[in-house]
Amino acid sequence: MSEGPLSDLRVLELPGAAGAYCGKLLADLGADVIKVEPPGGDPSRRLPPFFHDDPHPEKSLYFFAFNTSKRSITLDLQRADGRALLRRLAQRADVIIDCFPPGYMESLGLGYQSLRQLNPGLVYCSITGFGLWGPHAHYKSSDLIAVAMSGMMYLAGFPEDPPNRPYGDQSHYCASVQACAGILTALIGRDRSGRGQLVEVSMQEALAMNQETAMQYWDLRRELRQRQGEGRRLPSGEWFRVPGIGTYECADGHVYLMIGVPGFGAPISVLIQWMAEEGMAEDLTAPEWQDVFSRLDLRLLAQLYQGADTSAAQEWIPRFRHVDRIIERFVRSKRKQELYEEGQRRGLLVAPVNSPRDVLENRQLNERGFFQEVEHPELGAVIRYPGPPYRLHGTPARIWRRPPRIGEHNREVYLEELGLTEAELAALAGAGVI
Amino acid sequence: MTSDDLPLKGIRVADFSWFGAGPIFTMALAHYGAEVIRVESQIRPDGLRLTQPMPKDKPPGINLSGYYNNFNAGKLSFSLNMASQQGRELALRLIAKSDIVAENFTPGTFEKWGLTYERILQVKPDIIMVREPMQGLTGPHRDFAGFGAVITPLAGLSYLSGFPHRPPVGLGTNYTDYVVNPGHALVATLAALRYRNRTGKGQLIEVAQFESSVNVISVALLDCAANGRVQERQGNRLPYACPHGAYRCLGDDRWVAIAVFTDDEWEAFCRVVGEEWTREERFATLLGRKAHEDELDRLIESWTSQREAEEVMELLQAAGVAAGVVQSAADTLDRDPHLKARGYYHYLEHPEAGRTAYDGPGFRLSDTPGGPRGPAPLLGQHTEYVCKEVLGLSDDEIADLVAEGVLQ
Repeated sequence: MSEGPLSDLRVLELPGAAGAYCGKLLADLGADVIKVEPPGGDPSRRLPPFFHDDPHPEKSLYFFAFNTSKRSITLDLQRADGRALLRRLAQRADVIIDCFPPGYMESLGLGYQSLRQLNPGLVYCSITGFGLWGPHAHYKSSDLIAVAMSGMMYLAGFPEDPPNRPYGDQSHYCASVQACAGILTALIGRDRSGRGQLVEVSMQEALAMNQETAMQYWDLRRELRQRQGEGRRLPSGEWFRVPGIGTYECADGHVYLMIGVPGFGAPISVLIQWMAEEGMAEDLTAPEWQDVFSRLDLRLLAQLYQGADTSAAQEWIPRFRHVDRIIERFVRSKRKQELYEEGQRRGLLVAPVNSPRDVLENRQLNERGFFQEVEHPELGAVIRYPGPPYRLHGTPARIWRRPPRIGEHNREVYLEELGLTEAELAALAGAGVI
Repeated sequence: MTSDDLPLKGIRVADFSWFGAGPIFTMALAHYGAEVIRVESQIRPDGLRLTQPMPKDKPPGINLSGYYNNFNAGKLSFSLNMASQQGRELALRLIAKSDIVAENFTPGTFEKWGLTYERILQVKPDIIMVREPMQGLTGPHRDFAGFGAVITPLAGLSYLSGFPHRPPVGLGTNYTDYVVNPGHALVATLAALRYRNRTGKGQLIEVAQFESSVNVISVALLDCAANGRVQERQGNRLPYACPHGAYRCLGDDRWVAIAVFTDDEWEAFCRVVGEEWTREERFATLLGRKAHEDELDRLIESWTSQREAEEVMELLQAAGVAAGVVQSAADTLDRDPHLKARGYYHYLEHPEAGRTAYDGPGFRLSDTPGGPRGPAPLLGQHTEYVCKEVLGLSDDEIADLVAEGVLQ
């Protein structure tokens, strides 16, 4: 039904939250993604938030977010009839996405090695916490455990607090993006060799790159990057912030400023000029401050961070504090979108700390038609979804249909595509297989 | 398996991207067999080449940055002066011999060089052109400046992450630069490449880093769009799991993450801990634990803080409870026995930096295992190869270009 670039592909997505975004990416790119749910529905249908806060399996916004453009069938893999149906479906599929723990599908006789006998072209993707093999392969994972073990959580938060988990199951997004890339790479290989293969994604490995430079700092310098919170702590233990770099409170929230880093936007003098125009630069327009700003460069900062020169710190930190207080007062007098638009107009690197509502109302996203209105007739509602993360101008991705209801496509798939009879379907439904 | 069997063998990428999100995406193509040619310049080098960390025992150098090297493993480096007309002509010739061209400059830069999509189509009709601007190629904020540090607050991640009593300072990194944006660019490019292989048609791909990043807060966006609710920072807690957090352990800045979702897991947790408080009625149900979460967290920490993080992880995992050390980079690189057994990090010999570590691929393929096929290139290391073997220039022509400062 779709015109997307992957419209020739059929994908079976087995239950599990970590791979749902992978299925969504493929489905929005046009693949026919069939979500195989246990009778009663996928476990993620029970996760909040719910539409109008009504905790109903057909109203989970969590489920909606990850399951656009898919079809849904129900199937009980615990039963022999169910497993036989999955084998038949696997024969007709290009891709299977499996998020069960290692060995689970094998224990049902449905592992990759069995299914590839039926379908040598099958690309079978496994997404697990730690991969299919290795000493921790059997460890239980979750988003929190994955971000902890990957090294990325260690870098987030304030030194006085526990390390911070990033918002919103980032391990699922990251593992799914890696899985999707793996599946497409394997499909490109299959188009040439005729053979499918196993794509293995470990959530821990999928996230590891998010350590930024922490691994290299350790490898090259034996220096351990740790969470900094806001500003910097000097080797002496003293806290300071380079004026113009960091998260500042404003009239209606916060903004992030990154002003004065060479090569990134206009220098701090442009900010001071703006403040002066508004009569808020206080004494910073005096000539001695111009001199201070001109000496504020990376070499000075590196000197301060390394703490080699304590006299430099004694000289500079009181000046930083003075400037920072004046910038704070200026920023606090303005609203975040005003600081963003006017600051950027002046070439200053300013970003609003956007709330979800700010993102929904963002002018750039709206003028580019980013959001997509999706009709949910059963809810009597039209819900605004984020559009695809990329624009393929020849073959655009889009949300082709709202997320499926539980088993919504049972008849379509089992009767029309698999060729079961009405009687067989009724028997399976009666036995609780579907 | 030889590199001839890798799925992307024979694909050539003219890679004009720089910093993080672009080069990481093209590196994944190199991992699986593509020939990725970084077009760089001594005159305006990739900023990451000038950025720490560099080896401690060496003076800083343009080939020594671990930041750059880790994102460019197995690529070729072609130094080209884009400020010269001849440089821009060679760039177009290289694109004509490539399957994919990638760039992530501020919108207008490629146009300024005459490298519009329309011009490129004239020399390579089935090109896949991948552009990764911050805000997109159109729109009122098209020319706004930014990079990963700015995208994290802009896309809502900072607002939603961290403890509620703290200001929204983000994730301590330019988070979306490393997996989210390069990963989305990779997915789009592979989908387009497969489509081209099947139909002969290339296309223009636009990955606005802002739009890509907004997708990873989709649940909060739907909650706001459908319910009008603005979600707030919740620290490490979840409404449907308890305990769920990081707990201090023995040692300096050592923590263990524990996630209990079901009653069975709670009971297993209590059996491992064995302390009297685990039997208190008020903690018996999820609702009860959520109602007394602050106190429960304190009690748990009184138990974990007497133990090493690894010990807590192993005890709980043996009982079927999800737990993991909040690992530092020293843990992931040197100590984690699992990553070590799986060989996630690759140690490669680099001509100037020596034997250094590189991240492995984010996914593994059973029959065509890819990965870093060599260290990062020195700036301009493969200029002669590209001139001769790809562009078909003669020695005399190359000598002239060198003399005229085009190949620097």
